[in-house]
Amino acid sequence: MKRRYSQIIGTLAAATSLVGTPLAAAGPTSTDIDNDAATPGDVISYGLGPWGQRFSSLDKVNTANVAKLVPAFAASLGGEKQRGQEAQPIVYGGMIYVTGSYSRVFAFDARTGEKKWEYNARLPDGIMPCCDVVNRGAAIHGDKIVFATLDAHLIALNRETGKVVWNKKMADYTAGYSATAAPLIVKNMVIYGNSGGEFGITGAVNAYNVDTGELIWSRPTIEGNMGSLNGKDNGITGKTNATWPGDLWKTGGGATWLGGTYDPATNLIYMGTGNPGPWNSHLRPGDNLYTSSTIAVDADSGVIKWHYQTTPHDGWDFDGVNEFIPFDATIGGKPMKLGAKADRNGYFYVLDRVTGKFVSASKFVAQTTWANGINAKTGRPNYVDANRPGAPAGADKGSVVFASPSFLGGKNWMPMAYSKDTGLFYIPSNDWGMDIWNEPIAYKKGAAYLGAGFTIKPIADDHIGALRAMDPATGKIVWEYKNSAPLWGGVLTTHGNLVFTGTPEGYLKAFDAKTGQELWKFQTGSGVVGSPITWEQDGEQYVAVMSGWGGAVPLWGGEVAKTFKEISQGGMLWVFKLAR
Amino acid sequence: MARDRRSLLKGLAAAAGTLGLSTAFGPARLGAAPLEKVKELGVLRVGLYADNRPWSWEDPSSNGGQPAGIDADLARALAETLGLRADIVLFAAGEDLSDDLRNVVWRGGLLGFKPCDVMLHVPFDRAIIRQEDNVFFLAPYCRESFGAACSRGGNCEAMPASFKGRPVAVELASIPDFYLLGHAGGVLARDLVHLSTGYGAVSALAEGRADFAVATTAQIEAAVADHPGAGIQVRKSALPMMLSPGWDIGLAVKENSRTLGSALEDAIDAMIASGRLKAIFSRHGVEWRPAMAAQPQG
Repeated sequence: MKRRYSQIIGTLAAATSLVGTPLAAAGPTSTDIDNDAATPGDVISYGLGPWGQRFSSLDKVNTANVAKLVPAFAASLGGEKQRGQEAQPIVYGGMIYVTGSYSRVFAFDARTGEKKWEYNARLPDGIMPCCDVVNRGAAIHGDKIVFATLDAHLIALNRETGKVVWNKKMADYTAGYSATAAPLIVKNMVIYGNSGGEFGITGAVNAYNVDTGELIWSRPTIEGNMGSLNGKDNGITGKTNATWPGDLWKTGGGATWLGGTYDPATNLIYMGTGNPGPWNSHLRPGDNLYTSSTIAVDADSGVIKWHYQTTPHDGWDFDGVNEFIPFDATIGGKPMKLGAKADRNGYFYVLDRVTGKFVSASKFVAQTTWANGINAKTGRPNYVDANRPGAPAGADKGSVVFASPSFLGGKNWMPMAYSKDTGLFYIPSNDWGMDIWNEPIAYKKGAAYLGAGFTIKPIADDHIGALRAMDPATGKIVWEYKNSAPLWGGVLTTHGNLVFTGTPEGYLKAFDAKTGQELWKFQTGSGVVGSPITWEQDGEQYVAVMSGWGGAVPLWGGEVAKTFKEISQGGMLWVFKLAR
Repeated sequence: MARDRRSLLKGLAAAAGTLGLSTAFGPARLGAAPLEKVKELGVLRVGLYADNRPWSWEDPSSNGGQPAGIDADLARALAETLGLRADIVLFAAGEDLSDDLRNVVWRGGLLGFKPCDVMLHVPFDRAIIRQEDNVFFLAPYCRESFGAACSRGGNCEAMPASFKGRPVAVELASIPDFYLLGHAGGVLARDLVHLSTGYGAVSALAEGRADFAVATTAQIEAAVADHPGAGIQVRKSALPMMLSPGWDIGLAVKENSRTLGSALEDAIDAMIASGRLKAIFSRHGVEWRPAMAAQPQG
């Protein structure tokens, strides 16, 4: 108690220079977090607000002066663990909190970059992560920083000291579970999904008590599985065997590995779900609900209020996990409560966020071979049947199908941004396809196996990555910026008419939000695959981003790898402000 | 063109490229080190699949939780022959063999998992051998294939489709699973009981949870032996349109560990000649079948 008192005094003493900084010792409440988009002096949620729009109302840095943006400081994540920095920083009370690859958390002084503490999760050496060792960020609540680890633990640290407050095992890593997403805080609960979709698991959305880590509710994403609330059964998801044959719903996939967004007004949590298993679609006839979908879950009961499936009966590995971002817009003269998602499958969907009703879907990539658009009446894809990978047929390799986008998606995990000013979504997309075939000579766990063989290929001469400005009202691309290597980092947009994003080539770049003109870039020394943020401090606007090449892309070879083979690994937090 | 196994292996080694040979001239000590190094340390670190009964699994009831199974016994016998102690590491299988070879044999895990001196139960397949430059494949010591079994009184030789409407057990996302899901236009798809292992699928026949199961021959034979009196019957005829003709199983060491590989291969040859390998298999109720690559070919 004594200690807390002295901290308050310390904060008050500094308050003259800390405009708008709340008392550090109390920490943000769930209400503060819901209100994050309106408090540009801090960044206390993944996505700059529960909607995840990644829009800041700040405009001190703007199109007229962004060229004068220079580093304020940089901070290293140190050691040998230089790979895959996909995190979005959190800023609060004069501190910057970031997660690093290998399940680490760092606290830096937001004015000097001086490291205050570092937490390294002890990981069992037997973990063999499928898709690199990334982490996408932490959550903050009260006196705690909460993050998830590669061995599927949720850990709460004291944000002043970095000491463990609680450590909750969410799932068994030896059964293939892992965790890389940033947690979402809703009503004093930590909302978290699960990952490990390649191992025959069932997806779920879980709510944990933020003070203790105890499970409050759990909602499986696959029909037939039982949910829970306060330790009691809370009804099954969907209707058993409605869209799955036999008992495959018990292991159907649909992992929620990217986390979600929240709309306080409707009290709905929006979560995307992964692709179904087994991988070959011919073995599981039916829509396979609720895989490759967005589900809207009531925050109090954990009951699914609506669902929308972007890729029914997926056969291309089109995960549906991408973020669903609520926004309000007037379409056809009618003000509407909407949400949007840029899916792996190459289509940008606009839905009614209250009911889940389909509004529109528009292509945001150069090519979609698997479908000719989305039927405006039914909201279902117009499949091109010839371009669905075939059924496994013994020792025969079968026909090679060219599918675009590739299974890495028209857009992967990296979050897009929405500007209230321009009314545009800024989508970090990639134009690439894949040859896919049945691979008869494959082995799994020492036994013969029928795998899928694939080669990922660029589909254009001059780029793979493309940052695209999408008008959700018309479905038209307003501008695009092409990038040689695949884009793999998140996007930020501001009231200064700016859009920020990073490139694997190592640049953080700023664009005119209306025209797409590139206005500024800075070389960070390694690939940028994190999500930038901005905040105001001591009367100045700051921009920060993590640098450190990695994630799933470098794991795939072939032609695509040529675009990034010279990129060095890294692990730095870069912070910028205007030169005076 | 009759070729014995040795000459075939030499041919494969040569086909894999001359890069490996150059290590004998360059960092020569490094090339020679692995056998000397394990002898110096007195320990042979062996990587085996976790939860892969009857080959390797954690058995809390036996030997104070020592890894059990045919491969675990083979690992201990190999270490003993070389005058070493076996350090058996059970690891979770990755998505495909390439992941396992990278994590367990030549690179190690990203989170500190140290590579093993040798991995057992590695499919021995020319197409795979050509793809994996960092690994030396050797000593194919047995052959596996898929078969079927049924519960007491069932007609094991009938078409699998005749089990429509009755529970049919199978390991999730295995070839037997794909086979049964697609068999006869998918008539069995709603009857499949998916389990995490093939051994578990066959054991379900003994427990009244299934009437028919498709699994590997070793999984079937071991489950039959472990459930004496349960009346599990083994199908004698081949499964129609089965998707795999069977495969050989051998060892893998790191490309620069050929000295160790040769010593292990000699040890296996001796165990085959003396009948010791066959005895290890039969201890688990499994009939030893020599690898095709190890047999004279016409």
